[in-house]
Amino acid sequence: MKLSFSKLVQIAAVLGLVVLAVMLFSGNMTWFSTEPPVEIQPNLDHQFRAIPQSPNTFFADGKSLREPVEGSIARGAQPYALGQGDIDAAETANVDPNLPNTEFVLARGQNRFNTFCSPCHYYNGQSENSAVSKKGWAGIPNLTRPETAALSNARIFHIISAGQNLMPSYADKIDPIDRWAIIRYLRSLQGVEGVASKPVASTATN
Amino acid sequence: MFSRKFDMGVKIGGAVAGGVVAVLVLIGYFGFRNSFADVGYRPEQPVPFSHKLHAGQLQIHCQYCHAGVEKSAHSPVPTTQTCMNCHTAVKAESPKLQLVRDSYESGNPIQWVRIHKVPDYAHFNHSRHIRAQIDCKSCHGPVEEMGVVSQFKPLSMGWCLDCHRNPEANIVGARPISGVFTGKVHDMKNLLDSSYIFTPIKAQVHDKGELEPLTVPQYGGYHTKVPPVTVAGIPHPKKAGIGPENCSSCHY
Ligand code: HEC
Ligand code: HEC
Ligand code: HEC
Ligand code: HEC
Ligand code: HEC
Ligand code: HEC
Repeated sequence: MKLSFSKLVQIAAVLGLVVLAVMLFSGNMTWFSTEPPVEIQPNLDHQFRAIPQSPNTFFADGKSLREPVEGSIARGAQPYALGQGDIDAAETANVDPNLPNTEFVLARGQNRFNTFCSPCHYYNGQSENSAVSKKGWAGIPNLTRPETAALSNARIFHIISAGQNLMPSYADKIDPIDRWAIIRYLRSLQGVEGVASKPVASTATN
Repeated sequence: MFSRKFDMGVKIGGAVAGGVVAVLVLIGYFGFRNSFADVGYRPEQPVPFSHKLHAGQLQIHCQYCHAGVEKSAHSPVPTTQTCMNCHTAVKAESPKLQLVRDSYESGNPIQWVRIHKVPDYAHFNHSRHIRAQIDCKSCHGPVEEMGVVSQFKPLSMGWCLDCHRNPEANIVGARPISGVFTGKVHDMKNLLDSSYIFTPIKAQVHDKGELEPLTVPQYGGYHTKVPPVTVAGIPHPKKAGIGPENCSSCHY
């Protein structure tokens, strides 16, 4: 058998390419893989420490997240103390901070409203075209109707914070100050006097 | 000195060994790079949750589920409660959601498989980047088109630095950015509906109407001000001289 050296190199190169191609398309190292990526030198990649939302073998319950000691409140946290039924208490407990009537407050309120309320109440607050209404969730009230407009700010704050019947609580997702901004924006959707109906387009601030 | 046959054997052996070494070097050099090994990681999730449906079709904002990404290092994967906000009333009987309902009743979290992960010796902070108005898309790709999330960018150190040195060229998506409609124009755009506004109202209220940039530690733990230097409206950390190329920004 005669094989020139250059021929061998060619064969090796082709073989190499085939191996690469197989790796590329077979699974483990392809663009799509359900297997975790290979680590050749994983020394400090995985340190023994608590990472949010990750399992942790150090604690008996296997979670990294610790429950706060009973009766303690995390620094900066502002939990909502009232239950869904405490409607009367809400009127006095929720003191409206009277945010300044500025474009910025309105724009922030709009931003948070569109993020957290629009899936159910739609961008205009009228609910009927929202994602979930169109998929068969009937009976979500139109927030621009007179009955809703008649609710006090403190009451709406209560509804956002504690929920109401099928509407869930948003206390854990929206800061109190943002909830008041949402109310300001909701008032503008309802066409309440003294509140600009639309925030004027402004360049976003950093 | 040696026979012809032996000579030939050495040559063939040498060539094959050389070829094997070349292939190994190629694999070693390219195969274990993040851009090759990590990109495209698409684990099977316990619940067949689709971003394409929720974020793309239903246009639910990223922050509805990943709430808190604006102010914390970690971008939380939603709790079961978040799913049940809607799924108590929508598709409440769906067998695909059985696990979600079980988790809701038992209180044990759904074990979503984590996809994006920088090694523990490097520190990444979402809030800093979201406040700089970098669209999720720049780093996670078109998630709203993904039926199953896969890693889209290498998350390697070179990738971080490429953007820090040259943010204009690496930030994609609409600016001011949108939650869901990354890039897509929504019909109520004129209402500013999708723009993020980062400055916390708190700062604005306390400072009597002045728009102070975020310096409050609880908003991400950074004490430095957002850099005043911008290029085409994008904060330019390098030109501002605040060191995102400094090793200790990310390794501490
Ligand atoms: C998951 C869907 C959903 C989301 C998201 C949602 N709501 Fe609701 N909302 C409802 C439902 C359902 C009701 C009706 C509750 C009832 O039957 O009493 C409601 C009722 C209300 C009411 C009382 C209306 C009335 O006249 O009684 C207000 C005010 C309200 N929502 C405001 C908001 C605000 C502000 C947000 C955003 C922070 C929001 N909602 C987010 C589903 C939702
Ligand atoms: C309806 C809730 C919901 C919405 C809206 C949503 N997500 Fe998610 N997201 C999830 C859930 C649940 C997971 C975990 C399961 C998975 O990976 O599919 C997840 C996972 C992810 C991950 C991967 C996390 C990891 O493990 O590394 C990224 C990245 C992500 N989402 C980005 C986005 C972006 C960007 C948007 C907006 C376009 C968005 N999400 C909108 C619920 C949501
Ligand atoms: C804002 C409301 C909303 C939230 C929050 C939400 N979904 Fe959905 N989801 C929907 C709607 C609406 C549909 C139904 C779409 C349809 O009918 O085609 C749906 C459909 C689904 C389906 C398909 C069900 C089937 O039988 O086809 C799955 C699975 C699902 N959601 C999982 C989740 C998970 C997991 C979460 C939490 C991370 C979540 N959803 C959060 C609104 C929501
Ligand atoms: C500058 C790049 C960048 C941007 C912008 C960005 N992410 Fe991430 N994301 C990352 C990196 C890097 C990780 C891995 C973080 C880690 O391992 O600690 C990650 C991880 C995640 C995770 C997994 C959980 C975690 O925090 O580790 C989710 C969910 C997520 N991102 C969602 C989002 C959403 C939603 C947005 C837009 C609001 C967004 N990301 C914007 C780079 C980015
Ligand atoms: C798409 C562009 C982009 C990518 C990708 C990116 N960054 Fe950044 N990063 C920025 C910008 C812009 C800033 C400046 C933001 C500011 O100062 O408000 C920044 C700031 C930072 C800072 C703060 C620097 C300081 O001196 O205070 C850290 C830390 C950081 N990034 C880490 C990372 C890490 C780790 C990665 C990769 C996993 C990464 N970034 C990927 C754009 C990016
Ligand atoms: C913008 C953030 C950032 C900065 C600044 C940065 N690094 Fe990194 N570095 C990373 C990330 C992210 C990784 C992990 C990459 C990966 O997943 O392989 C990394 C990985 C490394 C590694 C390990 C490489 C390996 O594969 O084992 C070393 C060593 C390193 N960095 C050194 C440095 C030095 C020295 C500097 C200063 C000149 C520096 N880094 C600056 C983000 C950064």
